[in-house]
Order: sequence, then C-alpha cells, then structure tokens
Amino acid sequence: MFTKQTIILGAVLAGTLLATAHQAQAQHRTNDLEKDVAVRHRRLLVAHRFEVTPLFESSIDADYEHTVGGGLKLEYHLSDMLSIGVVGVASTSIQTSLTNKIVGTLPDMDPGPNDKTPSQTQFLDHLNTIPFHGAAYVSLTPWYGKLAAFSSAFVAFDFYFQAGVAFAQLDSSCPSSVCNDTHPGTMGSDGSSPELNPKYDPPLNSGTKPGLYLGGGVHVFLSDFLALDLTVRDYAFSDNPSGADYNADLYVGNSAKLGDDNRFLHHLFFGAGLSVMLPATVKRTP
Amino acid sequence: MSTIRHRSRSLLVVALALVAGTALAGPPKGKGGKGTSKGSGSGSGSGGDAGEIQMDDNGSGSAAGSAAGSAAGSDAGGEIEMDNPDQGSGSKDLAADLAAQDKGANIVQEGPVKKTPVSWKDIVVVVRKPFLKVRRTELTPFVATTMNDNMIQHYAAGGEFAYWLTDVLGIGVEGQYFTHTFSSTYDLVARQSRRLPTINDYLWSAALDFHYVPVYGKFAVLDRHLVTWESYFTAGIGAGESEVVPRDTKFPGFTNFLIEPNIGVNMRFFLAKWLTINLGIRDYMFIDKFEPTNRGEMGGMCVNCTGSEAQNNADSAFINNIMFQIGVSFWVPTSFDYTTFR
Repeated sequence: MFTKQTIILGAVLAGTLLATAHQAQAQHRTNDLEKDVAVRHRRLLVAHRFEVTPLFESSIDADYEHTVGGGLKLEYHLSDMLSIGVVGVASTSIQTSLTNKIVGTLPDMDPGPNDKTPSQTQFLDHLNTIPFHGAAYVSLTPWYGKLAAFSSAFVAFDFYFQAGVAFAQLDSSCPSSVCNDTHPGTMGSDGSSPELNPKYDPPLNSGTKPGLYLGGGVHVFLSDFLALDLTVRDYAFSDNPSGADYNADLYVGNSAKLGDDNRFLHHLFFGAGLSVMLPATVKRTP
Repeated sequence: MSTIRHRSRSLLVVALALVAGTALAGPPKGKGGKGTSKGSGSGSGSGGDAGEIQMDDNGSGSAAGSAAGSAAGSDAGGEIEMDNPDQGSGSKDLAADLAAQDKGANIVQEGPVKKTPVSWKDIVVVVRKPFLKVRRTELTPFVATTMNDNMIQHYAAGGEFAYWLTDVLGIGVEGQYFTHTFSSTYDLVARQSRRLPTINDYLWSAALDFHYVPVYGKFAVLDRHLVTWESYFTAGIGAGESEVVPRDTKFPGFTNFLIEPNIGVNMRFFLAKWLTINLGIRDYMFIDKFEPTNRGEMGGMCVNCTGSEAQNNADSAFINNIMFQIGVSFWVPTSFDYTTFR
C-alpha cells in the first residue's frame, strides 16, 4: 500500500518532471547556423573577377526598324554581389512587318502638298536607325543558385540587375530632294507661310542621345570560367522613330520652343553572350 | 522503519525511471548483451516469470553464470524461443558458400584490365526534393499580357486546373478571357501615315495542356534565404475566338473561331507546400482572318459591306500571340508525404 509520504513524493517528482519538460519546451532554441550564410564552401564564380562577354543583341517589339547587332560587355565584379561595367553594341537594321505593311499600301509617288499621305520613299526616309548604342552601369547580383537539368546536368547560375546611363547614336538620312521644307513650322526668309505638311520636313531624329539604362539577366555557368549570359536591356532615351509629326502641330520640330516631336522612349533589347571570367580559377567561401 | 522503507521504495521508483531512461537512450544490443540480461534476470529472481524472452541457445552449452536463469525460465509458458534448430545445416551451407567463394576467387581474368577511375561524376547525391507534385492538383488563377503586338495590347485573366501524374509530368485545362487597349502606335500610324491599321482583338481561349519539368534548382537571395524553383515546358492544343476591329465603324465586324496550339516555358517558385508563384511565356499560334482591305463603296457597289461578305473575303495570316503570364498556384492536397527515405 502507498503511504501519504509516498504519494507526496511521487507527486513532487512527477511535478518536477513536468515542470522541467515545460521549461524545455518554452525555452527558445537557437541554432548556430541561424546567422550563417545560406551556402558554405561556395565557389565565388564572379567575385573579384573580370568578365569579358562578346554578345549578340536584338531589339524586342520595335515599331518600324528592328535593331540587330553584336558587341562587347566588360565588367569587373567588385564583390560577389556588386560590379561595374560597360556595354557597347554595333547594329544594323531590319524593317519590321509593320513597316512592310504600311509601305505596301502607300503610293509610289508623292500625291502632292494637299495630301498629307506620304509616299513610300518619304515614309522610309523619315525612319531612323540605331547603328551604335551602349551603357555604363552598376550591377547587383542578389540571387545565385544551382539547377539540375534533366537530372543529369547540374549548373550554377545567378540573376543580376543593372542600372546606369545609356547612349545611342541615331541615324536618319532624308535627302534634301525628299525633305525639302527649309522652314518647318515657321515663316520663310522670303516671308512665305509655313507649309504645315510634315512629310516634307526633315525628320530631326538623328544624333547622339544620352539616356538611362536598366537591365536584368542571368549567368548560366558552363564551367568555372565560362558562362552563358542572357540579358534583357532597356535603353531609354529621347527618340522619334518615325521621324514624323508626333504632337499634331503639323510639322516636325525638335525644340521646346517650336514643339518637340521626340519623346522619352524605352528601347528593349534581348542579348545573349558568352562570358569569360578572368582569372580562370575560382576561390571558395569558408 | 516505515520512513526508511518508504524512502527505499521511492528510491526504487527513481532508480527504475533512470534505468528506463538509460535503456531508451542506450544503443541497441545484439548478442553482446546476452550475458548481462541473463545475469540480471537470475539475480533478481524474476527470471522465471511468464513472458520472459529467452535468447539462450539450447545446444550451445552456455556459460555457467547464465544456467540458473535459463533453468528457471525454460518451463514457463508463453516463452519466446529464438533458438536456431537448424544450426547444423546452416554450418553446412556456410561451408558450401565458402567453397563457392574460393572457386570464384581462383578465376583469373586474362588480358588487359580496363581501369575505371572514380571521379566526381560517380558520386550521385540524391537530395530529397522540398516539394512533391505527384498525384496533386494545381489550381492557378493568373493574369497575362501580350508581348509582341505594338498595335493592340491584350490583357487576360484566366485559370488553370492541372493534375500531376508524376513529379515531372502534368496535364491540365486552362481558360482565359481577354480585354484590350490600343497602343500609341495604332494612333500614330493612322495620323502620320494616313493608314488605318487592320487588327483583331481576342475574346477568349481555352486549351488542354501538358507540362513537363526538366529543370529544378534552388537559389540564395542576398546570401541568406534559399528559394526552390523549377522550370517547365508546356505544350497544348485549344480553341479561341477573335473579333475584327472594323477600320470604319459603320461596317460590322465578324468573329473567328480559332484552333490554337500553344507552347511555352514557365518558372515556378515554391513558397509553401500548398502555394507557388508561376511566371511564364506562352506562344498561342493560330491562323486568324482579318478585315479585307477593299471594303466600302467601289464603282457604285458596296464591297464586303456585310459581315459575312467580309468574312468570306477575309485575309488570313498566321499569328504568334506571345503572352507573359503570372499566377499563383494552390495545391490540393495541401500537403504531401515522402515515400522514400531521405
């Protein structure tokens, strides 16, 4: 038979055990790994390395002229996440299907000053192209990881985002025989009134344009020093791709006083390149 | 005296608890623990109780120290015997096995031996996937927008219902409803070139899709947080409807029923066992019919003025409607169990 003391002792023992267990549950468990990095012994595939990338670039969803070209990207990675670089691309132009459709419906010859419909030549000669463009930027690489493709290829990759300044060399060549209005939107030196038909005005959409640059892309590392570089770039600068009257004042102008038909436009490009990382060997994190 | 007896009982309870705790925490014992079990059984005098687990070997002639316990318990009912009655035959098999092994060892291969050096490719690390899709249903509301049309911008709201047959192969049905806005180029072409663009807008589409997941991986965000993701291809077949936007609003438009195969590539980010975020690009391909260019009064006749006339004389073109989609997937069941060891 259990005596009173036995019961009390048992109760105390049981209570102590329960209390201890409760304290153990309530105690905040901390782990040394909590403040540690996500990946140890990681290959530093970009940190303190120089990146040289020959690349191909093509415009995305351009209105009148596709821009297709090749160039070079030079980038130095100050750390594993931060880098600075420049990119420059020389390009040629291909008419878009929209341009072809419009040209197909335009008259071969100029219908005259009383009709604002341009001829095929007048329309095409007002379009501009981008023979050279580029950017200087700061790049942030906040994501890196590893992927398995078809359960056989295991490759490292990282995502990066870039921001900086852009420039573009624009070119349009409308001969004086086509763009023959010498005083668009203004009185002529001989006192003649403005013609107010923009198809005879010079397009005023050439020259060097500064702007802003945004980009985002991914490195897919084929080896320790080679990576596939895929990027979407946005070169934003003042432009008037059609070279025609945009603000409906019936002439083409490029100044605030007379009315500027250029506007700040985004020019999206897709780029693919092969990055060579120098030096070729990589270091590892602790 | 009573106090001492009570204390001794209490100490016995504590001792039993400690022993139990030690037994739980201790490593499993094999044959090496046999002598200890016997010794304690015979010493405590409880070895003869029914239900005792006897691990003696009847024919082995074990140590004298265990004989008392064995003798006391051997007659009790309910005893679990773990003897090996076929010990003799087992010995025979072992001899045969050894003979066979020796015979095999005597075989000498002649000729050059191909060396296969071990490399890192021979080490296959199988990491348990953090997210399983097999036999789960995915419900995905999504929104989408056109990527490759600079005249008309379509926006879509839709949903997909997919069932995953395996962890990499899924089948689903999707539907989406479109709305649209005209881009600035649409107005500029009309004003600058004096040409009204011929365009169609899309009303709805539905498709049966197959998904295949060849790529999965994980990435670290700001060197702190790991996020798991996968990339998958989609191919499907479906139908849709487009509507002509008349250049001159005095003429009626018409609608087209479209057969739409589609292909796409998508990415999925795993947020929880029941929740993922999906991003994708999908190309819906179809042959669409557009308003004919010659429509209106011509030579005293109204050409293609009715909707059916215009549709019969419509211009056809192959269209790639590339859309960017973003959606959230809800997974049912909301959790899953692993069927393989880590």
